[in-house]
Amino acid sequence: MKTALRVPLAVLVAAFLMSAVAFAHHSFAMFDRSVEKVITGTVTRWQFNSPHSWLYITVKNPDGTETLWSFEGAAPPQILPRGVTGTSFVPGTTVTVSYCPMKDGRPAGGLGWVRLANGMYLNPADGGCDGSDKAIEKWKAWMAAGYTSSADALKGK
Amino acid sequence: MSLNRRVRCLAMAAFVLVSAPSMLFAQPGAFGGGYGPPLKVVPPPRAFASSEEHYKYLLAQAKGGTKHTISSVPRWDGLWVTAGNTHMDIFIDPPGFSGKVREGVLTPLYEKAYKERWRQQTELGEVQYDRLTHCEPVGYPRWLLEPYSHEFVNLPQESYFINDFGPAIRRIYIGQEHKNVYGTHSWFGDTIGFWDGQKLVTNTKYLLPADFTRWSPMTSNQFESVETWELKQYPGGVERLEVQVTFYDRYAFVKPVNAVYAWKRGTDLEKAGHRVQHWECETSNNDVFDKGTTTSKLPGEQGFKDARGSTLFPDLPGQSRDPIYNTTLPGEKK
Repeated sequence: MKTALRVPLAVLVAAFLMSAVAFAHHSFAMFDRSVEKVITGTVTRWQFNSPHSWLYITVKNPDGTETLWSFEGAAPPQILPRGVTGTSFVPGTTVTVSYCPMKDGRPAGGLGWVRLANGMYLNPADGGCDGSDKAIEKWKAWMAAGYTSSADALKGK
Repeated sequence: MSLNRRVRCLAMAAFVLVSAPSMLFAQPGAFGGGYGPPLKVVPPPRAFASSEEHYKYLLAQAKGGTKHTISSVPRWDGLWVTAGNTHMDIFIDPPGFSGKVREGVLTPLYEKAYKERWRQQTELGEVQYDRLTHCEPVGYPRWLLEPYSHEFVNLPQESYFINDFGPAIRRIYIGQEHKNVYGTHSWFGDTIGFWDGQKLVTNTKYLLPADFTRWSPMTSNQFESVETWELKQYPGGVERLEVQVTFYDRYAFVKPVNAVYAWKRGTDLEKAGHRVQHWECETSNNDVFDKGTTTSKLPGEQGFKDARGSTLFPDLPGQSRDPIYNTTLPGEKK
């Protein structure tokens, strides 16, 4: 168990160190950065604004209702060099998002990586969650095994 | 190691990165990892009683300064990004991010206030709130280390130093005396300067209280500085714009302190097509201070600001602030 935890956490730390600057104009105290989750939905809006970008997606719940989820990413100047632009996430298209959830349980989080419908991954993350290449590779394996939460993946549930 | 401790370690790792943008060529120092060779602080030739005395000494040394023309004034065109600084070395003892607040640098009240900030940073992994969250301007000295992009436009009579956070523009009046006809202080104060060959020397006064960053000390309304800017070339094609700064603050510092900040060319941003735009903090920021910490307003919640919704005239055609996709969020008029 210890080794199982140590390796992904080391990867996570390294990913943070290698990722672009996490220098937002606010604290990330509202996000639980000890947990990463993934969720799939339809883009409602990609708000490529400073000081923070926001990705809003509509997610279908198991009971047939829909919930708007909100994810905060980095400012445009931080993520333009990563290939993310104001047209990267087109309304109406399907995306899968990694995020660190709000501590208070509302449907929102710090944005990690985003997978487009064509399978391409982009990293619009700020310091609120990890969207680095290493995080993407880690999650590819976890998603292939059916995980949607890092907590479950680390426990091997 | 408990999970909480792991999270704190993770947060500290991110924080180190934040304190030291551009880690590709990390330096051996505790903070200030940057691009190119290690940054070295060059203290002033002697102690001065005030920033003005310091500035006038340098002006006399430069025999009144170099009078540049439009064709001879140093050009620092293009986009620049932060490439390291040493400001945290002033306030934190080795070994760096796990060190303690250095005692005797700040005055007792400022030291006490800063110890609380540093406690939050080291124990909670986050300072719980940042004054910029409610769209307060960056101000000075924080301007010096804000990331994103900078532009430095030099003209013979004036320089414009721009950070795209805001944008936040500093104006340096060359060969002039200080002026303050407003009867108060301001976020970027009043900056005068002179050229000493290829170096630009400045003196900034009349600032509002601000801070270095949210994890650094606060500054008072008596904060002043003397800066020496120079574009430097190093082996390996490393080009760095550097500023040696002496900070004066009779309320915050026991005695003046020194730091160096650096920038490198923002070629990645230029290749990506970045153009500096106005930041829409007042109309788009949904991060707020609530119950002692930072949180976010979500669509449909009271107080949520819809940056891409309609203007106050939604019945008129063409009033959406999302002109390409025309998206709406819950609670909005279509």
